Amino acid sequence: MTAEATANTTPAPGSRRERTRAQGIRRFKWAVLTPFIALMLFILMPAFLLQGYFSFFSFSIFDAGDNLGFSSYFEASEWVGFDLWADALSDDKFGWAIVRSLLFSTGVTVGCFILGFALALLMYRPFRGQGVYYIFFILPMLTVPIVIAYTGEMILYQNGPLNDILSILTQTRVEAQFLYKQEVALTTIALLEIWNWTPFSFIIMMAGLASLPKEPQEAAQILGANKWRIFWEVQVPLLRPVILLALILRFLESMAEFPKTWGLLQGGPGSATETVPVYIFINAWQFFDISYGAVLSYLILFMMAAIVMSAIWLLRREKKSLDAMYESKPQEG
Amino acid sequence: MAMTKSQRRHAFSAFRYLVLTFWLLIVAFPIFWMVSTSFKPDREWFAWPPVYISENATIQNYLVVWADVSEYGTDAEGELETYTQSLQRPWEALGNSALISVISTTLTVLFGSVLAYGVSRYGILSEGRMFQLLMLRMVPPIVLIAPISIWYSALGLLDSITGLVMLYFLTTLPYAVWMSKSFIDEVPREMEQAAEILGASRMRTIWEVVLPLVRSGLVATFLFILILTWSEYLLALLLSKTEVVTLPVELSKYQGSTEGRVYGRQAALSVGITLPLIVVGLIIRKHLARGFSFGMVRR
Amino acid sequence: MSRIELVNLRKEYGSVVAVNSMDLTIEDGEFIVFVGPSGCGKTTTLRMIAGFEDPTAGDIRIDGEVVNEKEPGDRDLGMVFQSHALFPHKNVADNIAFGLRMKKVPQDEQARKVQEVSELVRITHLLGKMPAQCSGGESQRIALARTLVTEPSNFLLDEPLSSLDAKLRRELRAECDRLHDELQKTFVYVTHDQEEAMTLADRIVVMNQGKIVQMGSPMEIYGDPVSYFVADFFGNPAMNLIEGEFVAGTNGLEFHSSQFNIPLPAKYSSTAPGKGSLGIRPENVTIGATGGGASINSEIELVEPLGKDTLLYFGTDADRPFVAVIEGTEEVQRHAKVDVGFPDDAIFLFDANGDRIR
Repeated sequence: MTAEATANTTPAPGSRRERTRAQGIRRFKWAVLTPFIALMLFILMPAFLLQGYFSFFSFSIFDAGDNLGFSSYFEASEWVGFDLWADALSDDKFGWAIVRSLLFSTGVTVGCFILGFALALLMYRPFRGQGVYYIFFILPMLTVPIVIAYTGEMILYQNGPLNDILSILTQTRVEAQFLYKQEVALTTIALLEIWNWTPFSFIIMMAGLASLPKEPQEAAQILGANKWRIFWEVQVPLLRPVILLALILRFLESMAEFPKTWGLLQGGPGSATETVPVYIFINAWQFFDISYGAVLSYLILFMMAAIVMSAIWLLRREKKSLDAMYESKPQEG
Repeated sequence: MAMTKSQRRHAFSAFRYLVLTFWLLIVAFPIFWMVSTSFKPDREWFAWPPVYISENATIQNYLVVWADVSEYGTDAEGELETYTQSLQRPWEALGNSALISVISTTLTVLFGSVLAYGVSRYGILSEGRMFQLLMLRMVPPIVLIAPISIWYSALGLLDSITGLVMLYFLTTLPYAVWMSKSFIDEVPREMEQAAEILGASRMRTIWEVVLPLVRSGLVATFLFILILTWSEYLLALLLSKTEVVTLPVELSKYQGSTEGRVYGRQAALSVGITLPLIVVGLIIRKHLARGFSFGMVRR
Repeated sequence: MSRIELVNLRKEYGSVVAVNSMDLTIEDGEFIVFVGPSGCGKTTTLRMIAGFEDPTAGDIRIDGEVVNEKEPGDRDLGMVFQSHALFPHKNVADNIAFGLRMKKVPQDEQARKVQEVSELVRITHLLGKMPAQCSGGESQRIALARTLVTEPSNFLLDEPLSSLDAKLRRELRAECDRLHDELQKTFVYVTHDQEEAMTLADRIVVMNQGKIVQMGSPMEIYGDPVSYFVADFFGNPAMNLIEGEFVAGTNGLEFHSSQFNIPLPAKYSSTAPGKGSLGIRPENVTIGATGGGASINSEIELVEPLGKDTLLYFGTDADRPFVAVIEGTEEVQRHAKVDVGFPDDAIFLFDANGDRIR
């Protein structure tokens, strides 16, 4: 973040020039921000409020009948106070959905990070064929998640190529059910997700590694440090902000994952892949229990807000230390 | 460590090639399988042992999916005709996807880059706000999608291109701003100061001096966001009914049908969905690293 | 006893030859400076000695042992980088102690040595600070301390002063000199600044395009350049070098050029006529009273008073104006016409290939 607010020229404080300049900047700011803020106010805000309404007023689709005009939503709802909230907080399935989501996201984040980092470490110095590998390694991110879901199913099919390869390796007929067995379904989806998004972490870590100054590493080398020492003591500490970024972005995005869990398995088999998005979807859209869905949504919103605010705090702290390390030098003295 | 320097160098190189090639195979295989399956006749879809490269390769799947050719000649013929109907309009879906993606991405990059300029030069958004903006994207859309669809139906925005475009704009603007900012930060301020002395207004300076200098970065941002909107599934699914079906939603209709899986057809459609993105991604690959630094990388 | 030998050392990058089969022995305790323009191969040579680049051919021997296969950390070398290369996330004391930690020196001894070396380079007041809080000059001192504390046998310095301003550069230059005196160890120093080379070196190695062009003491390099290139590179202001032709005249060889014609001293009478250049250092040009040797009358076109010296410019319309240096206290007038003298022993002649004619 740039230090000065008026980076290009700095007229004297309090002068007329400064005031008109500040005015100009304010106008510019609002001109650019208006569409975004307008959309937030006219779309997100009403949605947020509607959600709040429904969390206290139970909507029954049976009362609403066939013709669902906007007002009919209100006519068909009645006050239930905090009942739905109590239901949600004591809902076992909801609790399990949260657990599944957290496990899923943690596993995916760790997997993407370790793979992405390892690949970046092997790739960031030039070597022959590097370009070709790079092209292949970013491909998974360019595939559409829903496509990955369905292609994954084809590969993981009972008579599919993965079982074929395993059969050849173990010399037995392997007919594993990767997707349709409750115990492994979520893990399988997680692996698909890792395949899909490792490139993102990979690219971020590559950028980070490539930006590391070379000379401190050489200085460490000539002072007797071996590769491991240099990695842990010189490279990783300077990479902390980038690592954190890769972890946080991936974690948050994977909490919202939908195409693979719903698009492919509809939360099944049983409830094995019923993550939070799927559970909310089932309640709000399949059972059309908008009110319960609203309550669930709010609770998740609070949870995510807490996670997100911690993430912001962590990232800002890292950014501060990064800025401090590269501050412009004080005058000679 | 009894090896000499060059021995160690060679050992590491061998190790590197081994690991990277292994991962390359893992990466390439699903894509290979998708393409290969798209050329398989239906009896090979579920065959055991699985067919890797079909000797009876056919473009039948593509014809059925993309050219609306009806099916004859196999046992499952009658059921397959039902598929041809449930998967109604791939070209329309393609058109919708393209239209929505291009419009929303253009708007996003336009506003995002100008906003990024403001943040970079004037600090119009504090660092805290910038992070909040990024985190806005990180909220799972599922938590607001139900009321949004109700609100949309009241506004008549349900099943409309405008509706989806607006939401895509909201959800991708954070990425656009962050990515553009990292490119704009690298442009030396002297250029703008020179323009200012020569009498250029702010918008003119942005438009004629700064943005052209980060053109390649903006292209990368544009294409990355295009990828995001093109492959978006949840919002497209829940905010569209019949009119505005996008490709991912179209693909998912196979899943919902009752006759079981039609791998070949799905693959043929998948290839169509994925191919443009792969082309786009390969074009911008050199810029991805620079765009993804999000202020956490010092150059 | 630690001497560094470069035997037939060669480095190629694809089709580019960065270092062209160099042979050199660096004696124990010598302060040797590699100097030359960018791309001449001096830094590449240094990095090969350090072990960061592998030679395409040839050997590097330290103390008689071939070290090509040894890692940089095993060659008993210390190195100071152009950008000081301090670890930004560690404080100054930890930076300095790093090498000792790698050698597994016990903690209390580490602390003692860090204190000792900090006193030596006078940075004890910075020990608790972070590198970002230190100025450029302080950072280079810290970098020096970090490498001194491990007591290597040889020191490599890669343009350590290039990123500092002129005044600091002089201060730290003196510091390097002092350290070399005290430690009596070999310093291998790389720079593109001829002034640094002149002031610091016991021996200068002038490089150009991967080859050693001339080797010798600073005074040898300055007073007896073997080529146009070396003559031009050293000296501030640079030597006056005029292209022209050696012509047989009535009284022996003469030098003819577009700027002036002068007769050449008798010792050159046996030189073949042909194209070439004539050089004379600005400080050796005499103005006014002649002390023997040729002279021409010319108008002073520009006067640059520097305080201690005054520079006089003649013939500014040529590619290179002709410069003379006189005492700052002497009075001169712009546009005055004066006798510009070329003392016999101050003239250098170079042939068409740039080689020195003796």
